[in-house]
Amino acid sequence: MKLEIKKVAILGAGVMGAQLACLMANAGLNVLLLDRVVSEEDPDMLAREALKKCGKMKPAPSISKDLIQTIGIGNFEDDLSKLKEVDWVIEAIVENPKIKLALYEKVLPYLSKTVIFSTNTSGISINSLAELFPSSLRNRFCGTHFFNPPRYLKLLEIIPGKETDESLIKFLMEFGESRLGKRTVLCKDTPAFIANRIGVGAIMHVFQLWDKGNFTISEMDVLTGPIIGRPKTATFKTCDLVGLDTLAMVSDYLKETCPADSFKAYYEVPPFVRKMVSEGRIGDKARKGFYQKVKDEKGKLVRKYYDPKTDSLLDWKKEKMTALADAYQIKNLKKRLGFLVDLGGDLGEFYREMLYGTFAFVADKIPEIADDIYKVDDALKTGFGWEIGPFEMWDAIGLEKVVKGMNTMNMPVANWIVEMLKSGNTAFYKREGIESQQFSALSNSYIPVPRHQLFFNLKDHKPSIIWKNDDCSIYDLGDGVLNCAFHSKMNTLGGEVLEGINAGIDLAEGKYKALLVANQGQNFSVGANLAMVFMLALEQEWDELDYAVSVFQKTTMRLRYSSIPTVIVPHGMCFGGGAEVILHGDRVHASSESYIGLVEVGVGLIPGGGGTKEFSKVASDNYYNGDIQLPQLKEKYLQIAMAKVATSAQEGMDMGYLKKGRDSFALQSDFLIPQAKDIALGMASSYIPPVEGKNILALGKQALGMFMIGADSMEFTNYISTHDRLIAEKLGYVICGGDLSRPTLVSEQYLLDLEKETFLSLLGEEKTLQRIEHMLNTGKPLRN
Amino acid sequence: MNVYILNGFRSPVGKAPRGMFRSLRPDDLAAQVVRGLMEKYPSIPKEEIEDCIVGNATPEAEQGLNVGRMISMMGLDTVRVPGMTVNRYCSSGLETIAIAAAKIQAGMADCILAGGVETMSPIPFGGWRVVPNYEVSTSHPDWYWGMGNTAEAVAQKYQVSRQDQDQFAFESHKKALAAQASGRFDKDILPINIQEVYLDEQERRQEKNYMLNRDEGPRADTSLEALAKLRPVFAANGSVTAGNASQTSDGAAFVLVVSEEFLKRHGLEPDARFMSYHVSGLEPRYMGMGPMHAVPKALEKAGLSQGDLSLIELNEAFASQSLAVIRELELNPELVNVNGGAIALGHPLGCTGCKLTVQILNELEKRNQKYGMVTMCVGTGQGAAGIFEKL
Repeated sequence: MKLEIKKVAILGAGVMGAQLACLMANAGLNVLLLDRVVSEEDPDMLAREALKKCGKMKPAPSISKDLIQTIGIGNFEDDLSKLKEVDWVIEAIVENPKIKLALYEKVLPYLSKTVIFSTNTSGISINSLAELFPSSLRNRFCGTHFFNPPRYLKLLEIIPGKETDESLIKFLMEFGESRLGKRTVLCKDTPAFIANRIGVGAIMHVFQLWDKGNFTISEMDVLTGPIIGRPKTATFKTCDLVGLDTLAMVSDYLKETCPADSFKAYYEVPPFVRKMVSEGRIGDKARKGFYQKVKDEKGKLVRKYYDPKTDSLLDWKKEKMTALADAYQIKNLKKRLGFLVDLGGDLGEFYREMLYGTFAFVADKIPEIADDIYKVDDALKTGFGWEIGPFEMWDAIGLEKVVKGMNTMNMPVANWIVEMLKSGNTAFYKREGIESQQFSALSNSYIPVPRHQLFFNLKDHKPSIIWKNDDCSIYDLGDGVLNCAFHSKMNTLGGEVLEGINAGIDLAEGKYKALLVANQGQNFSVGANLAMVFMLALEQEWDELDYAVSVFQKTTMRLRYSSIPTVIVPHGMCFGGGAEVILHGDRVHASSESYIGLVEVGVGLIPGGGGTKEFSKVASDNYYNGDIQLPQLKEKYLQIAMAKVATSAQEGMDMGYLKKGRDSFALQSDFLIPQAKDIALGMASSYIPPVEGKNILALGKQALGMFMIGADSMEFTNYISTHDRLIAEKLGYVICGGDLSRPTLVSEQYLLDLEKETFLSLLGEEKTLQRIEHMLNTGKPLRN
Repeated sequence: MNVYILNGFRSPVGKAPRGMFRSLRPDDLAAQVVRGLMEKYPSIPKEEIEDCIVGNATPEAEQGLNVGRMISMMGLDTVRVPGMTVNRYCSSGLETIAIAAAKIQAGMADCILAGGVETMSPIPFGGWRVVPNYEVSTSHPDWYWGMGNTAEAVAQKYQVSRQDQDQFAFESHKKALAAQASGRFDKDILPINIQEVYLDEQERRQEKNYMLNRDEGPRADTSLEALAKLRPVFAANGSVTAGNASQTSDGAAFVLVVSEEFLKRHGLEPDARFMSYHVSGLEPRYMGMGPMHAVPKALEKAGLSQGDLSLIELNEAFASQSLAVIRELELNPELVNVNGGAIALGHPLGCTGCKLTVQILNELEKRNQKYGMVTMCVGTGQGAAGIFEKL
């Protein structure tokens, strides 16, 4: 029988349950959210209130507020009969086996025979929970462990029970990947599964190292943050986010359920943490943890950090440890790790103890928690935000070097590692052509890392690069489709990237069928190369600037008017020039996590690569006979004037960056390139390129007055500065097509020329240059 | 030649855009008030009414297509009485009474139905399509400013503190609540029936009929602390909030303006004599100070001095401008808005002038007093004042 999920019910509208409901709605599923009755007058109160909170949460659990209202709400007393229609029931109530079992007993009579029933427990044994199920349904039960916040954390641990139907698990693994956009990791039914077992153990280990060392909490977060490929929240800030009480609970649970674990010291909650928990200093939910914001004498909120050793709050400032200065110079994380463990003194000792300790710990857990090492790496990367997993880090430092270090430090080395080295294998991972292979502890040999058939990693396809310069590469994806991938710093768009896009179009027009613009950097593109623009403006190289803007405009226009279809594949941040590239593609296939915005006013400019023109066009395209037009243009104007950024691809569609009915997005970002390739090929067979013409209705003076009044009014009321006003007025002038006496049909080029002239004139403004300089120095906009 | 007022009614004032009148069209609302008014004067043959003049500040969409003419037909149930729509923003409802008086004084008519209507629920402030003159927008952008800006400009120039504005707003609610509790508005208000077609939760078509007979605006739960917590809505670090500005509203009000000849012919006793009306202009950015210029002229034309006035209805567009006007004109605060003002009771723009007239005439009667003045600031730098003698 074909398994299918159309309707999902979430039992329990707690923080996780409600957000899971949003995630399912994001994936286009029909969702029902149920919880207990706590008020007779309003039996659905818990579910309703939880969703209301979701509407206000930041970052938002939902990709569109409209989706939240599609979620059905109900309660465990009146609505269980609705479960008959449900394909997947996810239980997400309190972590208490008795209460869970009581609920199962209650809902069982209402489940369909073909239901998939899963629990979102983060640690309770799946098999112990499965026991309550009648044998006819036990094969429909498993664990599905999502990570909070579920929209943003990619990990989904799937834990089969002894009797769970294999095809059901296979289906959920696939559904989790392709529909929900998760990295599904098949886990064994061991305490806390993979990510929390390792992640929490590693945190407790860092706690212990801090306790016996001399670094401050604040320094520890520098040492264990991005410098070793961990999130900015590093260790202690992450603990504040998760909650020290929760961490202590998981740790205690591990200690209790793994008495024979040779690393059980890693589950020991240090006394200082116990003390903090007992005093309610448990993290963000109590507004105090390792960090705390307090008012200074001027009433301004400042961040302090807590020092458990002296029980005092100390001043926090963004630390740059001078001892790490050399390490910061090493841009490559893998090389940097090697450098860090080689450092002398306290620093080197700390890194060796911390990293080697973690490595010894994870090695010891193979095959207890997983037969495949890639699962451990996947789980830590997608569940805890590590840039590379523990086995990948180990490889980066060097397997043999680490083992030698472990021996000197009297750390236990797992037997399988010893065997592995004996047989001459010195890395956990290696590559065979485009196939990634992992070392298997069970077979003492290399086996493939299994990936979904649509999984696509550009790094695996380097041999198919047919053109490249420093900032851009063109890949031949086969079947006549090329891909242009940026790889400049933060994927900014400068001369080399533009050259790459043009080369891609030239090549594709020559002997290929279609061009994708896709990359897998952290972000699609944060915009034009501001540093270059700044230097040219400072030196008053107007001709060069004029030329650079012209090239940019011509390039984006070519994306639209070339003879081949172009498909833009955005993800992450897509700002300024990045948004302009998106706006000019023939089609867009986006990651649902695309944050698109024309944010140029933040640096004192207006979009100059066709963005302002495009928003005039988007408004115009939407005018209809009898339309009053002005509100549509005003909305587009305000998006630029207020530098609004879409917080999802869906929102990008609502804001006009993506086109409804034409473009698409997916929750799974790893499959975007093959999907976009299919789209491009579908288009190529019958592609008719658009023809340029005078087809934008520029409203001229009819709309211009409104923008002038708005700018004046906003300045008077202190919402904007005098310079903001200047930019707002100039933006109005361009988006209206100038001071035309009556609405007039104009060409894209007419608006592009206005756009360029205005862009250049703003570069002649001192305050604009100050804004750009500030952005380059601090990464933050300046209000002047 | 004397011109007289036969007092009429006002509708209760609904909150816009989500109040009880949210689904009621302006023509339907006004027609009900007109019907009520005609029932009050059964001896007047409708065909003897010579015009229907309706004030409206946003005469477009539901209020467009000369809504005054629609109201004359719908409310009077005859095609014989013509109708027109007059827009002088917030004084429109008083302006129509003045125009009617002028026509009668000029011998062009003996009886005119005058008033105003505004439903702010369906129509955005300023209208659907705002198209300022581009050249003016660069030379005098403040001519097109939103009213909130002008309230801030007045607060700055006349140094009206946030605290004073909130106190004034609080008093407005207190007075309005007291007036409601003591039935002070009962004689003013014509209960309005509403028929609503809507969908229930299962999307089944449903109909319901209901009635509104009291103003929705006054809030018993307001307090100085609550008002102080509100954030400024028009300016960063400003002082004007949703709490100390007038409410957006739906409402209608009408009176009959007649000649002495007409009164005699039908044996009617007038409620008041229309004495004077004046409108002045000033810098649009200080719009709120309009009454400062209009009041002295209106008094002069009426041959009165400020001390002769027993009651004043000063439209509370904003607490900032109300306070600045009271201070600059040295009005006696005891006489101003004795039953609360627009901050508590609402401000259905084009209706307000007539609504305040209906109210002040009834209040003068209750207090057995003589002279009353209705005054207001008017958008784009104007002020209006009208004076009545209660008979």
